[in-house]
Order: sequence, then structure tokens, then C-alpha cells
Amino acid sequence: MEKPKAFVRKEKCLACGGCISVCPQDAILMVISKALVNKEQCNSCSICVKTCPIGAISWEEEPL
Amino acid sequence: MKYDVVVVGSGPAGSVTARFAAEAGAKVLIVERRAEVGVPVLCGEGISQKVDNFKILEGKRWIATKMEGARIFSPNGTHITLSAEFAGSETGYVVYRDIFDQELARGAIKKGVEIMLNTCALDLLKKDGQIKGIKAQHFNEKLEIEADVVVGADGVESRVGKWAGIQTTLKPHDLETCVQYTLTNIEWDSPYCDFFLGKHVAPGGYVWVFPKGKDVANVGIGILASLSESGLAVKLLDKFIATHPELKKGEPLRVITGADPVGEPVESIRDNLILVGDAARQVDPITGGGLMNSIEAGKYAGETIGKAVKTQRFDSQTLSEYETHWKKAFGKKLHRNYVVKEIMLDMEDKTLDMLADSLKDYKFEEFSTMSIIKALVTKHPSLLVKLTPLMKLARS
Repeated sequence: MEKPKAFVRKEKCLACGGCISVCPQDAILMVISKALVNKEQCNSCSICVKTCPIGAISWEEEPL
Repeated sequence: MKYDVVVVGSGPAGSVTARFAAEAGAKVLIVERRAEVGVPVLCGEGISQKVDNFKILEGKRWIATKMEGARIFSPNGTHITLSAEFAGSETGYVVYRDIFDQELARGAIKKGVEIMLNTCALDLLKKDGQIKGIKAQHFNEKLEIEADVVVGADGVESRVGKWAGIQTTLKPHDLETCVQYTLTNIEWDSPYCDFFLGKHVAPGGYVWVFPKGKDVANVGIGILASLSESGLAVKLLDKFIATHPELKKGEPLRVITGADPVGEPVESIRDNLILVGDAARQVDPITGGGLMNSIEAGKYAGETIGKAVKTQRFDSQTLSEYETHWKKAFGKKLHRNYVVKEIMLDMEDKTLDMLADSLKDYKFEEFSTMSIIKALVTKHPSLLVKLTPLMKLARS
């Protein structure tokens, strides 16, 4: 099974850009003042999840 | 669209670069992704009084409070006091960063700089492998903005440098992840900026309290991303506030997050492209302060670009004057403070407590290496061994 991808909860994100600056895959972009993960590029390393100061990044829920 | 210079980002680094380039006769455009300069604020809002020397701000509207110095609290609550002249470069004023940034942008515009809001830089514009400007998007409209020089002043998350092949991705060990409340209804009447250290307070970083008026203060935390877990920063900040009676009743007027690069600077020039400010990692690795460096580097960048435009020479050799200049001004200090940061990260809470205890009555105004060693040895002789790496650094 494929690993879950990082997922930004838009309503929580305050747009500091920390996750973007540490992403080794360049998989995160700021789109209209919210971080957005490009799923194709994400390698599930968890650096952004741990970095977010307010816990706005978690793992994408598996489809039911 | 054709300009001499296109600047990506309207923060202090971008506005100051643009201002000095325009003043030297260049035609300058700033593109800004956001809908308002300076908003949202992503910063603790402290800056050295040295900013006055640059004469780039009018009036006092951007100042919240003038500080008398800084206090540093060790894990057990012992504190040392640094008066203004000795508190390092990051104290002086607590500012309103939104107004501050807008005043810097206004100063640039007065010198002839143009600015486009809601405009996101997408990539470099290249012809035959040469950088010829940027591709950008303004709402649904795709733009090609031609320019002889491209300036990346796009902050901690900088992409401009990456497009030119400069490696700017930060290691988690070199990023402070931050969150800050502007609290009101507090009982914090102090003319000092306060810093609180300790593994349980803020692993790899510190909590700060920067007074912003009678019963308002910025209360924030930065922790090292490599020591962070999801949402840990805000949890620790809430805990700090809950355990301080003077802050406990505080209510937030604002909550912001921030990311502070505390690594070593990256290459700041590639061909006819320049990086300035947080994008170039021109941040003090100990304090995390970058405002003053951004402004100073922006001035040098703008002046160098101005000369390049006059002579119509845009090669990296002509532009390297910028790098030489900023490295001479604060490059050494950044490197030294990076080494000190590494040493401090290894210090146990107990060592920090002993340090604070030794120095709590020390008169920093009469600072000398010998007198500080004497103060350390007298109270806690064992400190000398622990501080050997620092002493070596001081001698080198």
C-alpha cells in the first residue's frame, strides 16, 4: 500500500511558509495564502507535519 | 513589460533593494503575491535602533514601543539584564510590522518604484539559457516581465533562488518554527524585551515577551523544527502563558505563525539574479532576528544594481560587489553566531542556570573578556570547562 501523503488543513493554515522552506521534495506551494501539498511530489517524509507550529498539517485520510 | 529590475516580494528586503536601485536611476517593479503589503505579519516585531541610521522611515507611526534593553531568563528563572547599548542588534523598537513594511514600500514608491499586488511569480523567464526576467500570474492573467536583474526577496520559503539553481531548502535543524499571540489584558509593565530559555520552555529556541504598549505584548515562541512535533510550538506557548500569572488572564488580539531560517547564508548571486533578506538566509542564527540585516543588505543590493544599470553590465562579477559588501558588514557575525548557536544547543539547562547565576549582577556596560571570565570563575568554576568552545571562538 502507498504511504499516506501530507495534507494541509486550509482552515488552520496561517501561511508562515515554514513547511515550504523545509520540504526536501519542493512539494508544497503557497496558493492564495494557504500551503498546498502536491501529492505527486510528496514522499511522506513527515518533516512538514512535525514542523507546523500549530498542527495544521496531518496525513491525508485514506479513501473509504 | 520591460524593467531594469524586477523584485519578487515587498517585505523590507525587497522594498529597500527597490528603493536604492530606483534612487540610482533604475526602473524598478516589485511583484507581491499578497493583496496588502505587510499583511499577514509573520514576525516578533523587534528591531534595533540602528534602523534610524538608514533614514528610510518617516514619522513614528510604525513604532509601538521603544525598549530599554533585554532580559534573558535561564530555565530556573534567573535573569541577566542587557541594557540597550549592549542588548545586541535585535532590540530597540517593537514595531507594527504591517505599518513598518508599508512605510518602507511607500518610501520606495516615492523614489519611482512601481508595485503590483496579487501577482505571484511562477518561474524565471529565460532565453538561450539566460535569465531575462520572470513569469508571473495576476489573477487569471499570465504575464512575462522582462528585466535585466531579478531580485528574490521572497522570504523564508524562497523559490526564486531555486529556479536559478541555488539550493535554499532548509534542514529542520536550521529552522525555528514560531507562533505568537498579541495579548491584551495582561499585567506586564516592563521596558525590556524578555527572552526565556530552557528545554521544557522552548526546545532549541526561546519564548519572547515584547511589550507593545501598556497592557499589550507580543508573546511568542520559536522552537527548532528538528525538535518539533506537530503543533508542539503552540502547545508550549499556551503552557508558558498559563503558568505565568501576569499573562494568564490575557486575551489574544492576534495569532500568527512564523518561520525563521537559522542556518548559514546561501549564495546570494547567480548570474544576473540576486537574493536578499530571509531568502538569502541573512538572519542571526542566535536571535533569529533578520530585519536589520535585510535592510542593510537591501541597501547594498540596490546600490550595486543601480551601478549595474548605469554601466549596463549585469554579469555576476559586477553584481558581486553586493555580496562582498554585505559579507563585510555582517557575514562574519552570522558565521560566528551560527557556531555559537550550535554550542548553545548542546548546553544543558543546568549550565544555562549557572551562566545566568554568574552573570546576573555583571555590568555588561563595562564588558571585557577578562572581567566576564572572572565573573564566571568566581561563582561556578566548572563553567569554564563547559564554555571552552566559546572561549576558543572568542580568541579566533
